[in-house]
Amino acid sequence: MELLEHLRNRQRQDADLFIHRIFLDRYPVTLVGATSLIDLPQTVKLLQTQVRHVVASESPLLAISGGIGERIGQEELVKVFEAITEGKLIIIPDNADPCIKLFPISRKLSRSIEAPMTENVLRGGISAFTEDLDTNIGIVKKQTMTDKLRIHTYWLGSGLRRKATLLYMDGAVNSSFLRELQLAVESHSTQDVPDLQTLNTMLGFTRWSLVTRFNTTELPENASFALNEGKVVMFLDRLPFAIVLPSLVGDMFASDNDRNYPLFFMLAIRLLRIVGVLINTLMPGVYVALVSVNPDVLRIELAMSIAGSRVGVPYPAIVETVLLLVTLELILEACIRLPKSIGTTITMVGGIILGQAVVEARLVSNVLIIILAATTIASFTVIGFHNAISIRISKYVVLILSALFGVLGLFAGMIVISAYLASISSFGVPYLSWPRSKEQSDG
Amino acid sequence: MDKSMQVIVVYLLTHIGLIFFMYPTDIIECLETGHWSAILLGFAIHVALLAVYLKGLQFGAPNNVIDIYKRFGRWFAIVFLFPVALYFAVVIVITIRAYSEIVTLVFLDNTPLWAIMALLLAVSSLVAVYGVETIFRTGILVALLFSPALLLVFSLSFQNADWRYMLPLIDQRAASFSYVFREPFLLSFFAFTGGFLFLGFIPPRIPYKPRKVLLASAALLPMFMLSVYVPLLTFGQSAASLLQFPFITAVDTVNVSWLMFDRITLFFLLSLVGFVMIYISLVMWKTALMIRSVVTIMSPIVTILLLTASVFLACLYIPNWHAVERILWWNTLLRLYVMLVIPFVTLVLGFRLHRKGAAH
Repeated sequence: MELLEHLRNRQRQDADLFIHRIFLDRYPVTLVGATSLIDLPQTVKLLQTQVRHVVASESPLLAISGGIGERIGQEELVKVFEAITEGKLIIIPDNADPCIKLFPISRKLSRSIEAPMTENVLRGGISAFTEDLDTNIGIVKKQTMTDKLRIHTYWLGSGLRRKATLLYMDGAVNSSFLRELQLAVESHSTQDVPDLQTLNTMLGFTRWSLVTRFNTTELPENASFALNEGKVVMFLDRLPFAIVLPSLVGDMFASDNDRNYPLFFMLAIRLLRIVGVLINTLMPGVYVALVSVNPDVLRIELAMSIAGSRVGVPYPAIVETVLLLVTLELILEACIRLPKSIGTTITMVGGIILGQAVVEARLVSNVLIIILAATTIASFTVIGFHNAISIRISKYVVLILSALFGVLGLFAGMIVISAYLASISSFGVPYLSWPRSKEQSDG
Repeated sequence: MDKSMQVIVVYLLTHIGLIFFMYPTDIIECLETGHWSAILLGFAIHVALLAVYLKGLQFGAPNNVIDIYKRFGRWFAIVFLFPVALYFAVVIVITIRAYSEIVTLVFLDNTPLWAIMALLLAVSSLVAVYGVETIFRTGILVALLFSPALLLVFSLSFQNADWRYMLPLIDQRAASFSYVFREPFLLSFFAFTGGFLFLGFIPPRIPYKPRKVLLASAALLPMFMLSVYVPLLTFGQSAASLLQFPFITAVDTVNVSWLMFDRITLFFLLSLVGFVMIYISLVMWKTALMIRSVVTIMSPIVTILLLTASVFLACLYIPNWHAVERILWWNTLLRLYVMLVIPFVTLVLGFRLHRKGAAH
């Protein structure tokens, strides 16, 4: 038999491919699948039970094809191999009949629903998305509980296949945005999507964007709020995040989880985040501008005390700031890479080196340490790590311009960043717009 | 999707950016008492022209100004609009040069002038390259970011005011409008005519309500008043008339003990420079649009880059402040053309297009 021959050849390369002969009732058949994806004993048990029912009702055995699987002709090799890769079970009868593809009992390969790892919830639902696509959709369905939720599934990629799902709320979604998004997904569906960077290019966004074009969230609550706001939620198989499109500037400051707090508190906390972003982008620039270019702006007492703290520092303010900023960025990056048990060491070493030794050695001024500590803390008041990264980068633009032009450079930097943010739009939805179901207003 | 808000914000922003520097100098030079009559007259003319222009655009909708003129022949459009493009180009040169000079004078005395001009131009052309929608959105963001500083300065600026300088309210010269054809008054229109032409270049994908823009122009009147009366009330007419930038100097006298900054002028000035950058990018975008409607093969980026380069060269050739003032005066002719002829011709053309459209 040609198909079996092919499969045996394949087995020599793929150790986890099983070719297992059993009798179903009195027909000899061959079961084919991947051991790593299929729980074989359980599946065989299920098959036997089903066969027994079929025999009892005295209908021909192949009628099970109408019940639990679908037929694939033995000559359709590609389809057979695709089905095996997807984790399906193939039953090949010994006569030349078409084979049957069916859903086996698969091995449990994803974790159960757990608390979020990258987002903290103080008040609100705590379960987070997992790597399993269907589980994620199920969680969202349970969270929204409406018949307006629409779900479209796509297979992406040719070599590396990946399932993607688009969810949106009928009636709330911006239809032109949805249409363009679907068009982009459909027209590039053969492109492999191993990571979010390629997803970015697949959707037609520039690769050099400093601002993320889609937000990710681990929390079903946020995903369902986004759906209600008219955004589109996308799930990729094996990615434990909901990808929310389009990403708007408000997502940096406003989490839907805030709505679980009293209104006044919610507004105050959002204002705090805006202040955090401003501090983070502007403070290093302000320091450099005021110390090295425009000290006359400051009140004389303050200017004197800052100058006093810099006595003995052997290089200009910009070098001092960049040195310390780079160190801080290194600490941040190291904290992400390190296992949790060593993380405390870094905190201690970083704290002692930066807080104490550097100042005492007169390498940087202590005012700068205060400013940069505030800057670093402020950068994480925004929502989502992806947003924190983009504002971390934008502060360097301000810093360089401030070093060259003083306070004028600071303001020019603000305009450059504003213009950059204003220039971004995804599928006709500007980044600087406020989410409103169906129509956008800017501001 | 009504985007009037964006249009209004940019309209206000561009004017506020222009008002506080040369305008008070001109008005204070123009009259000895009763400055409000000159302000009100200028403002009334501004609103009237704005109304005429908007009406013409409304008739000609959904065409923009260039398309309206082009409907009456390519050469017709070139003849009528070439002075406008030239005016815009000169305005960019003057604004860049003047504002760099101000920045140097007030707080960057060590930085070479060309560096400041390069910065202002680079930022403006960057914003202009992004296109008009970005300019508008940037305008909103910049207004949100910078207006706290402006409001603070406005509310503090009366600290040293002596209200007796208000009097006498009027004299014969102010009442007889005899100042109208004098140089300072004509020069003061720099602050009025700079901005409003952009309303005619807005593409139909940014819909706005002309009535709202007209109403919003009322918000400018307090600004014009503030810009003249703050220095007048602080120094008095005779002292204020000696100053190059009376408003800036008046704000410089303000002393706030609870603020960590010694000179709040800086933040005020920089906010205005920010607004002016938006204004320049808008004018650049308009000019590029006009150039490209004639030379259609040029891409927007190339046009703006060429424009930027030539403006920069022109700026370098202006030796001193006196030369800036001379160019500003020469440009008055073009300005009068732009502010008087264009709105009325637009009205007539728009009306004819409207009738033609109605006849079909």
